[in-house]
Amino acid sequence: MKTLMPFRFGCTRHGLVRSGFSAALAARAAVVLMLLAPMASAADAPGMHGVWLTTDYPTRTARPGDTANLKLKLQNYNSAPEVLELRVGGLPAGWKAVILGAGSPVASAMPGINENVALQLRVDVPNDAKAGSYRLLLSAGGNSQRADLPVAIVIGQELPAKLQLRAKLPSLRGTPKSSFEYQFTVQNESDKDLIVRFGADAPPGFQATFSEGYGSQEISSIPIEAGQSKDMKAKIQPPENTPANDYPVRINANAEGTEAGAEVTLQISGQPTLRLSGPEGRLSGEAQAGSETQFLLTLANEGSAPASNVELTANAPAQWKVEFNPKLMPQIAPGQKIEISALVTPSSKAVSGDYMATLRASGNGASTSAEFRVTVTTSTLWGILGILIIAIALMVAVGAVSRFGRR
Amino acid sequence: MSMIEPSSSESTGAAGEPVIRVRGLRKHYGAKVAVDGIHLSVDAGEIVGLLGPNGAGKTTTILMLLGLTEATSGSIEVCGFDPMHNPLEVKRTVAYLPDSVGFYDQLSARENLRYIGRLAGIASNELEARMDEALERVRLSAVARNRVGTFSRGMQQRLGIAEVLIKRARVAILDEPTNGLDPQSTYELLEMIRTLKSDGIAVLLSSHILDRVQAVCDRVALFHQGRIELEGSVESLAAQVLGASHGVHVQSSADAPVAQCLTEIAGVKSVVTDGPGLFRVLAESDVRDLIARTLVARDLPVLRLDRIEPSLDEIYRRHFAGAQHEQA
Amino acid sequence: MNKRAGSPWTGCGIVAVKEINDHLRSARMLVLELLVLLTGIAAVYSAIQGLRTTTGQDAFLFLRLFTDARNPMPSFAGILVFLIPLMAIGLGFDGVNGEFNRRTMSRILAQPIFRDALLLGKFLAGLATLSIGLLSLWLLVIGLGLLTLGIPPGGSEVARALSFLLLAVLYGGLWLAIALFMSTVFRSPATAALSSLGLWLFFSVLWPMLSQFLAAAIYPNDAALLLGVQSIEQLQAQQWLSRISPGALFEEAMVGVLSPMTRSLGLVFPEQMRGAVNGAPLGFVQSLLLVWPQVTGLVAAMILLFVGTYVAFQRQEVRA
Repeated sequence: MKTLMPFRFGCTRHGLVRSGFSAALAARAAVVLMLLAPMASAADAPGMHGVWLTTDYPTRTARPGDTANLKLKLQNYNSAPEVLELRVGGLPAGWKAVILGAGSPVASAMPGINENVALQLRVDVPNDAKAGSYRLLLSAGGNSQRADLPVAIVIGQELPAKLQLRAKLPSLRGTPKSSFEYQFTVQNESDKDLIVRFGADAPPGFQATFSEGYGSQEISSIPIEAGQSKDMKAKIQPPENTPANDYPVRINANAEGTEAGAEVTLQISGQPTLRLSGPEGRLSGEAQAGSETQFLLTLANEGSAPASNVELTANAPAQWKVEFNPKLMPQIAPGQKIEISALVTPSSKAVSGDYMATLRASGNGASTSAEFRVTVTTSTLWGILGILIIAIALMVAVGAVSRFGRR
Repeated sequence: MSMIEPSSSESTGAAGEPVIRVRGLRKHYGAKVAVDGIHLSVDAGEIVGLLGPNGAGKTTTILMLLGLTEATSGSIEVCGFDPMHNPLEVKRTVAYLPDSVGFYDQLSARENLRYIGRLAGIASNELEARMDEALERVRLSAVARNRVGTFSRGMQQRLGIAEVLIKRARVAILDEPTNGLDPQSTYELLEMIRTLKSDGIAVLLSSHILDRVQAVCDRVALFHQGRIELEGSVESLAAQVLGASHGVHVQSSADAPVAQCLTEIAGVKSVVTDGPGLFRVLAESDVRDLIARTLVARDLPVLRLDRIEPSLDEIYRRHFAGAQHEQA
Repeated sequence: MNKRAGSPWTGCGIVAVKEINDHLRSARMLVLELLVLLTGIAAVYSAIQGLRTTTGQDAFLFLRLFTDARNPMPSFAGILVFLIPLMAIGLGFDGVNGEFNRRTMSRILAQPIFRDALLLGKFLAGLATLSIGLLSLWLLVIGLGLLTLGIPPGGSEVARALSFLLLAVLYGGLWLAIALFMSTVFRSPATAALSSLGLWLFFSVLWPMLSQFLAAAIYPNDAALLLGVQSIEQLQAQQWLSRISPGALFEEAMVGVLSPMTRSLGLVFPEQMRGAVNGAPLGFVQSLLLVWPQVTGLVAAMILLFVGTYVAFQRQEVRA
C-alpha cells in the first residue's frame, strides 16, 4: 500500500498538467490570430507603397520668442522597415529646431510595415525673428527610402485671443429660495489654448458659483483648447428675503486680456415663509389628561409673498384631540402675525409625562411644522379625592372619639 | 372655671365639708351586680378603711370614684367634682395608689415622680422642689436615682405616698397598700398614712386584711357582696356587732375560783375561758378597776389584766356569721 | 352617654415625650436600629460602588443611592420595605398590653389624663421614634453620597428624597398602628408580636403569590393558562389585590417618587404611550400626584387602624 500510493498519485498529476497546458496553448493561439486579422486590414492601404512624412497643418504661425510645435507622422506603407534618419533643413540663423519622439529628442525613426511613428517638431523662434514666412524642409531618409516634408512658420500673423459666451436661457423665474441655474457655452475663438476665468456682476448678497455643464464641482477657471467650446453652468443664489423683482446679473468669462459676457435675469417672484411659535416663544405646555387646554400659538408669515389657503393640522398621539381656531386662513400677508388658539385634549387614558405633537401649517407655496411638547398632568381631582378619603378617615376618628372618647 | 373651683371647695373643705360623697352608687356588669347602692361620705383629714374580702366591690368603688369606670346609677362627688363628668379635675385632686403600685420598673424613682408631676401639670422647677421634699419625707432620697425595679414593695409603696405629696392631693386612695409587706414595712407605711391625715388629706384605704389597717382608720366601711354592711368607728362597730363594747383579758394562776369571782362582778355579762387561767370578760363598762380590786381582795393572783381592743376580724366574722344564720 | 369635660388629648404630649425617651433608651430599639443601619449602609455602599463604575450622566444620580441594587445586596429602599415593619412592630407590639402586664395601666390612668391621650401619645411616640431613626439613616445616606459622589443633590432630588423619607415614616406608621392594634386586642405581648410578625410575613412573602393565584381564580382564562401567561384582567386584578399589602403600596409610591422617569404605576397599554417622549422625567408635583393614591391608601389605612385600636382600647376595662 505504502509504496504504491505515491506512484499512482504522481502518475495522475503528470497527466493532468500536460493536458491543461496544451489547452491553454491552443486558446492563446486563437486570441493572437483574432487580434492580428483586423489590424492588418486597417493599416493596409492598397496601392500605396513607401514611406511618408506628413503633418496636419504644414503652415504654422508663431510669435517671436514662441515655441511652435508641429505634430508629424512617419508612415510606412507596405515596405520593409528600415532606419530612417530625420533631418531639419533650411533653418534660419538663430532658430532652434528639434524633433521629438515620445517626448525626447530623436535622430531617427523606424516605422514597421503599415505602421506609423508619431513625432513632433519643436521650433524655438528667437525673440528677434522678423515677420515673414520661413520655410523648413523636413526629411526622413534611409538606404532605400526617403520622404520629405516642406513646412512654413509664419511670424507676425498670430490671431488675438477671443472668447465668446452665450447663455442658453438668459431669463429664469423663481422664488428667493430656489437656485437659478443658467446654462451657457464658452467658445475659445483664438488659435491657442486659454485658461478662462469666470465671474459674475450681481447685486450685493447674490452668490454665484460655476461648474461644468454636468459636473458638480465648483470651479473658478477652466482651460479651453483653441477653437473648442465648453458647456458651463452658473448657479446664482439670491438672499433669502429678496423682495420680488427682476435682478440683472452679468456672467463674465475672461482670459489673457480678452473678455466675454452675457446678461441674465433673475425674475424673483417672492415667497411666503410661515413660522409657527408657541406661547411666549416656548413650544411646550401642560395639559391635563382628558380635559381641553388652550394654547395660544402665533403663525407668522416671514416671507416676501402672501401665503394663501393656510390650513393647520396636527399629528398628535392616538386618541388625542387637537383643534385649531381658526383652522383655515385664506391669506396671510407678508409680515402678518395671526394668533391661533390650539385646543389640545390629551386622551383621558394618557399617562402623565411628556408627549410630542407635531403641529403643521401648510398653504400654497409654504408650510411649516413645529414639534410641540405637551406635558400631560394628572388631574388634581384625584389628589382632592385622596384628601377627601383621608378626611373621611379622620372624621371616622373624630366620631370614634366623640362616641368612645374621654374615658 | 376649673382652676378656680378647687380653691373654693378647699375653703369649704376646711370647714368640714365631706370631700367624698357617694350616694346610691350602683355598678352592674351585665347581670352581675358589683356594687349595689352604697352611700359613703369622707371628710378632710379622715382615714376611712374600705374593708372586705376580695370581690366585695372595693376596687370597683374606687375606680368609679376616679371616673375610670362608669357607674350604672347613683352620684359621686369628689372635692366638688363629679368623676363622671369631670374626671380630669377629680384625678388632679386625688392620688390613687393601686394594689399593683404600678410604677415603671425601668425608670428611676425620680423619673416616675417627674412623669406623674408633669401629667398633673406642675411646673418643672416647682416639681423638682416638691420631689426633693416628698422623697425626703418618705425616706427615699438616697435611692431616688435608682430604678424602681430594684425597690422592695415597701419602698414602692412609700414612693406612692411621695406621689400623694407631690400632687398635693386632697384625697389619697390606697388600694391594698399593705399587701405583701413585712410587719416593719407595714408599720412604717401606716405611720406615713397617719402623717397624711395630719396634712388634712382624706385617706381612703382598702384592704382585705382587716386588723392590719384597723389601727389607722378613723372609720371603716365593711363591704360584703357589693354593699357596705357596716360603717363607723371600730369601737362603735364592736358595740353594734359584739353587743358589748368592753372586753378584758384576765390571767391568773388560779383557775376555777377566778372564773367564779369574775362572774360575780357587777356589769360583767359573760366570762369565757380561753385557756388554763386565761379568761375573757365582757362587760357593759370598763370593769378593769373593779376586777383588780375584787381579785386582790379575794387574794387571788393577777398575772395579767388588760383591755381587749375590739378586733375587726371578730366583728366581721361575727356579723357575717350572724347574717348567714339569719339567712339559714 | 354623658359628655365629659376636658380635652381628650390632655397630657398627650407628656406621654409621647416619656414614651420616646423609653423607646430611645430601650435595648430593643437599639438592636433594631443597628440592624437597619448595617444593612442599609451595606446597600448604599454597594449602590455607590455601582454608581462609580457607571459614569453615565444622570440628572437624578443621588436618588439612585436609594434605588440601585447590586448583587447580592438589595437596594436601600428594598431593605426599608422589609425592615421598617420590623422596627414598627418592635416599637408597638407591647404598647398597650405591656402597660397592663406591668400593672402600670391603672396608675397611669389615675393621672389627670384620658386614655385617648395615652393611646395617641404612644402612637405619636412610636411615629416620632421611627422618624428619628429614619431621618438619621436618611441623613447618613445623603452624607455618604456627598462624600463619595462629590456632587450636591439638586433641589428636586432633595424634595424627592424628603418625600421618600415621609413615605417611609407613613409606612412605618401603618405598621405601628397594626402592632398597636394587636397589642390592644391581645393581652399577651408574645401573641401580639407573633400575630403582627405573622401579618408582616404574610404580606411580604405569601400575599404576592396569593394575589396572583386569586386573580387567576377570579378571572379564569383557559387560553392564558395554556400559554402560561396572565390575561390583562388577571394582571389588573393581581395588581389591585397586591395593593392590599402595605408593602406593595409603599413600594409603588417609592418607585414613583424616587424614579422620576416613572409615568404610571399601573398597566400601560402601547397606545397610551404612542407619541410619548421616552425617558423624560416627570415634574416633582406630577410624581407626587402619581403616587397620591398610594399615599392616600397608606394614610387612610393608618388612621382607620388607629381608630380601630382606639375603639378597642376605649372599650376595655381598666381592671385587668
